[in-house]
Amino acid sequence: MISNISHYLNRFKDCLHIDRTIRDGVAEELYTHLEDKSRELEENGLSREEASKIAVQSLGSPELIAKQIYETHAQGSWKEALFSALPHFLVALLFTSYYWQNIVYVSIILALTVGIAIYGWRRGKPIWLFPWLGYYLMPVVITGILLLSLPHGWGWTAALIYIPLVLFVFIHIVKQTARRDWLYASLMLAPMLVTFSWFSSLGTGNELLANDWIARLQANALWIVISFISLAGATIAFIRLKPRRYKILSLLIPPLVILFSVTMASRGNINSWGWLILLFSLFAFATPVWMQARAYQ
Amino acid sequence: MNYGRELLKGNTDSLLLCLISRHPTYGYQIVKELEKRSNGYFQFKEGTLYPALHRLERDNLITGKWQILPNGQQRRYYYITERGQQVLANRLATWQDFSTAVKSIIQPETI
Repeated sequence: MISNISHYLNRFKDCLHIDRTIRDGVAEELYTHLEDKSRELEENGLSREEASKIAVQSLGSPELIAKQIYETHAQGSWKEALFSALPHFLVALLFTSYYWQNIVYVSIILALTVGIAIYGWRRGKPIWLFPWLGYYLMPVVITGILLLSLPHGWGWTAALIYIPLVLFVFIHIVKQTARRDWLYASLMLAPMLVTFSWFSSLGTGNELLANDWIARLQANALWIVISFISLAGATIAFIRLKPRRYKILSLLIPPLVILFSVTMASRGNINSWGWLILLFSLFAFATPVWMQARAYQ
Repeated sequence: MNYGRELLKGNTDSLLLCLISRHPTYGYQIVKELEKRSNGYFQFKEGTLYPALHRLERDNLITGKWQILPNGQQRRYYYITERGQQVLANRLATWQDFSTAVKSIIQPETI
């Protein structure tokens, strides 16, 4: 039979979505507190069962303690918030002129992203890591999509080899991230949402990419910048806000801005490939948020 | 609204810093000490203690360290930091000034 104390600590851990090491540390602290209190009550003549029941009651609601602990640890500093939003600002900067077509600028940003993402992953996955991780994964996924454009059936052959490999890496990283917090998975997927949404407006007829896709992309630069800036704003809000429900709300704003921007820029002229990519990316982004919102309720 | 509870809430951090500054201590001992020193006046809500301790630690006013006791049990002891001592000194000075000012109005003959 599960004891009062174990049941209490399980409830506490279930609703505390922070770094696992910190969570387990706080749970251990609560455990020693409950044990001390129980022992004292037992010395005063109560049974083990009664003592642990009173100890648990005097500590109060585990959900409330978890909420307060979450609010202490979940709020990042302004430095962390700005550093998290930095990759979005950098990509927005690329689109403010023709820099995104310059291989040197793109390579520098890519190298920076890869370096920072690996550094953050190895340093215990701090809160600022996840947007960088999203950009780190993007070239891998985009390569998979571009393989489909190879001529004479080569695309599908290459994709068949490449996609399982990408899926393995991708799912592994998403699972690791979601294990800490579903919301971080959404934060990580957000750059992909923007990129794929804009990808969706570049096709024509049955083609994934129109011949003039570079010109189209440049023509939509202002809307693209707005999309990435909205993402940067939402990231800052996410890191700085304390209550979880506000964090969830902040993550719901960029998809709406992006959907509006893509529709406005393409004047609703998105082909079937485009709709598929757009819907898939919105779905991939919204699922973690939705799952978390359900858990929160 | 309970005025006493509001006062305690507003001064929890100072009380905790004060206790921890005397000697390194752990959660359960803090609750007991507060109750004992205040002759039972401060009935601290036990569950609110840990978020307060973690908030102080986040602000670098205290630091927590796990220690293994001779019986093998682990306890997290809190130590005051240099910054914590400075903040506590400022708060105590402010509290003294405030307390004197309040007294001079409600009990002028005692001043």
